[in-house]
Amino acid sequence: MSILANKDTRAVIIGGIAGVNAARRMAQFDFLINRSLTVQAFVYPPEEGQQKEIYRGGELNNVTVYSSLEKALEENPQINTALIYIGASRAYQSAKEALDAKGIKLVTMITEGVPEKDAKRLRKYAIEKGKIFNGPSSIGIMSAGECRLGVIGGEFKNLKLCNLYRPGSFGVITKSGGLSNEAMWLCAQNGNGITSAVAIGGDSYPGTDFVTYLNMFENDPDTKAVVIIGEVGGTLEEEAAEWLGKEIRRIKVIASIGGTCQDVLPQGMKFGHAGAKEGKKGLGSARSKINALREAGAVVPETFGGLSKAIKQVYQELLKSGVIKPEAELEEALLPALPPSVQEVMKQGDVIVEPLIRTTISDDRGEEPRYVGYAASELCEKGYGIEDVIGLLWNKKLPSKEESEIIKRIIMISADHGPAVSGAFGAIIAACAGIDLPQAVSAGMTMIGPRFGGAVTNAGKYFKYGVKEYPNDIPGFLNWMKQNVGPVPGIGHRVKSVKNPDKRVKYLVEYVTKQTTLHTPCLDYALQVEKITTAKKDNLILNVDGTIGCILVDLDFPEYSLNGFFVLARTIGMIGHWIDQNNQNSRLIRLYDYLINYAVKEEREVPEKK
Amino acid sequence: MAKILEGPAMKLFNKWGIPVPNYVVIMDPDRLAQLGEANKWLRESKLVVKAHEAIGGRFKLGLVKLGLNLDEAYDAAKEMIGREIGTSVVHQVIVAEMLDHDEEYYLSIAGNRDGSELLLSNKGGVDIEENWDTVKRLFIPLDETPTLESITEAAHEAGFTGEIAERVAKIASRLILCFEDEDAQSIEINPLVIRKSDMRFAALDAVMNIDWDARFRHADWDFKPVSEIGRSYTEAEQQIMDIDARIKGSVKLVEVPGGDIALLTAGGGASVFYSDAVVARGGSIANYAEYSGDPPDWAVEALTETICRLPHIKHIIVGGAIANFTDVKATFSGIINGFRESKSKGYLENVQIWVRRGGPNENQGLAAMKKLQEEGFDIHVYDRSMPMTDIVDLALNS
Repeated sequence: MSILANKDTRAVIIGGIAGVNAARRMAQFDFLINRSLTVQAFVYPPEEGQQKEIYRGGELNNVTVYSSLEKALEENPQINTALIYIGASRAYQSAKEALDAKGIKLVTMITEGVPEKDAKRLRKYAIEKGKIFNGPSSIGIMSAGECRLGVIGGEFKNLKLCNLYRPGSFGVITKSGGLSNEAMWLCAQNGNGITSAVAIGGDSYPGTDFVTYLNMFENDPDTKAVVIIGEVGGTLEEEAAEWLGKEIRRIKVIASIGGTCQDVLPQGMKFGHAGAKEGKKGLGSARSKINALREAGAVVPETFGGLSKAIKQVYQELLKSGVIKPEAELEEALLPALPPSVQEVMKQGDVIVEPLIRTTISDDRGEEPRYVGYAASELCEKGYGIEDVIGLLWNKKLPSKEESEIIKRIIMISADHGPAVSGAFGAIIAACAGIDLPQAVSAGMTMIGPRFGGAVTNAGKYFKYGVKEYPNDIPGFLNWMKQNVGPVPGIGHRVKSVKNPDKRVKYLVEYVTKQTTLHTPCLDYALQVEKITTAKKDNLILNVDGTIGCILVDLDFPEYSLNGFFVLARTIGMIGHWIDQNNQNSRLIRLYDYLINYAVKEEREVPEKK
Repeated sequence: MAKILEGPAMKLFNKWGIPVPNYVVIMDPDRLAQLGEANKWLRESKLVVKAHEAIGGRFKLGLVKLGLNLDEAYDAAKEMIGREIGTSVVHQVIVAEMLDHDEEYYLSIAGNRDGSELLLSNKGGVDIEENWDTVKRLFIPLDETPTLESITEAAHEAGFTGEIAERVAKIASRLILCFEDEDAQSIEINPLVIRKSDMRFAALDAVMNIDWDARFRHADWDFKPVSEIGRSYTEAEQQIMDIDARIKGSVKLVEVPGGDIALLTAGGGASVFYSDAVVARGGSIANYAEYSGDPPDWAVEALTETICRLPHIKHIIVGGAIANFTDVKATFSGIINGFRESKSKGYLENVQIWVRRGGPNENQGLAAMKKLQEEGFDIHVYDRSMPMTDIVDLALNS
């Protein structure tokens, strides 16, 4: 048996993320005692229609979020309890609606910082309706072995340590949330655990009081004693004392009252909960409460630490008198264990999970990214540059100074080639259509392919093939190409020729061959090929794609990475074009009619559909 | 309880038609001269000058001066502004008209669980304490407004007669309106004075407490409540309050000068029990502290460092109940960092640290705390099996 919450309790949670977290904790308890899910619905208009994932052990449940309590109850008429987690400015309205709902008998409010007047009104309203309004600022309600409302009881391990999987003989009523958990532990450690524990909240005017629940516990035959934890301020503890002294009670009362220190502190110095404020002339002082409770027959130890002994003593007396029958403790091992997450199990080495992807180049799990093991900041510190990061991430090697200089030059001369080429033009059209940077640059990027910029990889690939398979036989290579591939990638230019050479090619070739010590078998081979092809036709020169491809092969970059240099370099240019167009506030481009040859059918009538 | 200063209280009285004397609040005495040119009452009435600060016992401290003319008021203001009283400094003074009056009355209202209670007496002023038994009480149920007739009747029962009874009832009805609509917790007007020659009333002195939690529905609350601890806040307390305002969960600190047992305790309920335990065992606390609601580790670290700097402390009690959802490991890592930092700055010498805690990730948190022994801290760590406040006994018996 229990009070307030039991196996039949079905709850709705009104509020956002804090409520969802509470529902998850509550489901852990549901799992521990093997009951169905306590939380059946959420009400939170901003997240209407969403499903919240709630695990009851290993079982995944989806709980719906509704926009109003009315809708939640329409679809879940079994709900009889509401938990209010919503912010203080909306808490009153939400709780009132819940008290108005026919099926809801208990409304408990976790929200803190609720105006006093709102709490007073809710208390009055609940009394008029014959319902219970618990809180505000209540951590929740726990009925051992039956139901958990809110995060009361803490983590899963603690639920077991406090024997909350099965009922004991002690009731608990506290103002403080933290101390409700402490009191449950004390009852398990020094007695046989609790029936129910209720936190009424530490505000000045809570919706309920000690007497409300003392009456309920008195009527619950399983509860033999009640632990009350009160504090300075208000008169609820005095009322509890009055209740206890008024007639012979079945239940024993053990109490601890906080705030005796205020007798000796400088006048006016108050702290603790909102309600913990002594009134005029010592009214509601901790001392007066302690005296009243002691006079009424309650056991009140001098400090909180004395509660352990007091509970133990009462428990022993109840055992002796036969009111409580000794019960064998459950083996801890018989209780279910919360299924661990994959991460937890992996940490313990109890499971093997096949990885979904594998990486060999970078790792950001530490304090900063590491590229092939090197910390990014250390690379910066030691004078490395972007070329070295490219070398690491694309080829897992740190280039030498000479190699870095070559990579840098390749990027620099490839960064842009004016607005007329496909890539830049594509990016410009997109920019003029008001497209954002990443998408506009991607539009330009989609142009990179066999006819624009995409020849670097193939040039490198086939010249490398030539070096390997036809080392001293250029005609043989050209013949093989003709039969198996077609025109040689990297050879030929639309406008440049022997007489009108490509300045970039000339510069790169001269730089690499004359100013560095790089061994360049592939470039040398391509230049030999050029000699033969230009003899056939003036414009079959080694073009910039071919040159770059060969140099990169000589730099030992993997052949399939070579287009990356063009993509990277040209991205710089395309971003520039996008920024340029935006700076100018360019307008939408539409082709003029005279730029289009409308080679279309004459105007004609649409035939009837057959 | 959130007490507000007289200035804002008078502003709210004005708003609800409760008669107040003319007044101005100033920070610079020279402003008073200019105000004097603009306001006839400043030139022609007797004036009272009071420090407009949360300082108790102002009269004895010379922070209230009565019966002044404008020049004397200027001198009084000049003397008060900038004065240091303990940890407080006088920044503002309120200069009000000192109404010549014939009688002093008492009028107050305070909330209770079922509504509020109106108190009336025709023996106000300093005499109220000894005439407390003659005060007429009128209970006002929640959300009900008493009729003017019923208030007038109560006024008659309190000894008021004739037109004065009617006028007092009228003022009381406005006080009820002000109390209800401004989410007040209590308002005490003492004295409410009357000058019978022109039947002019004025609330000469008043104390008003408002419900600061209700501020979300009061757009015109352009003031802040004064310190709840009977003095203005120290710099350290202010710093912790500033952190508290920015975080999820909360951190709180009140310094208690002269004590030698520092508290670094968790939870609003448990923290008070720790203070009690110290006092019950004959010790004296150097502070009250509280962290709760799973605050971020850096906030707890800041609180820890502040507490380590308290002068003359011999023990630090790192206590708490078994937390529901405050992560012990995370909050303890803040405390541990705070201890290390403080030690490196030369604090914590000859200070014993006593720890008792439970809750989420308690084992890791307590183990990490225990490891501080290896770093030369005099630290004693206990888990949930130690009764909560018994570490205080251990500390005091050591």
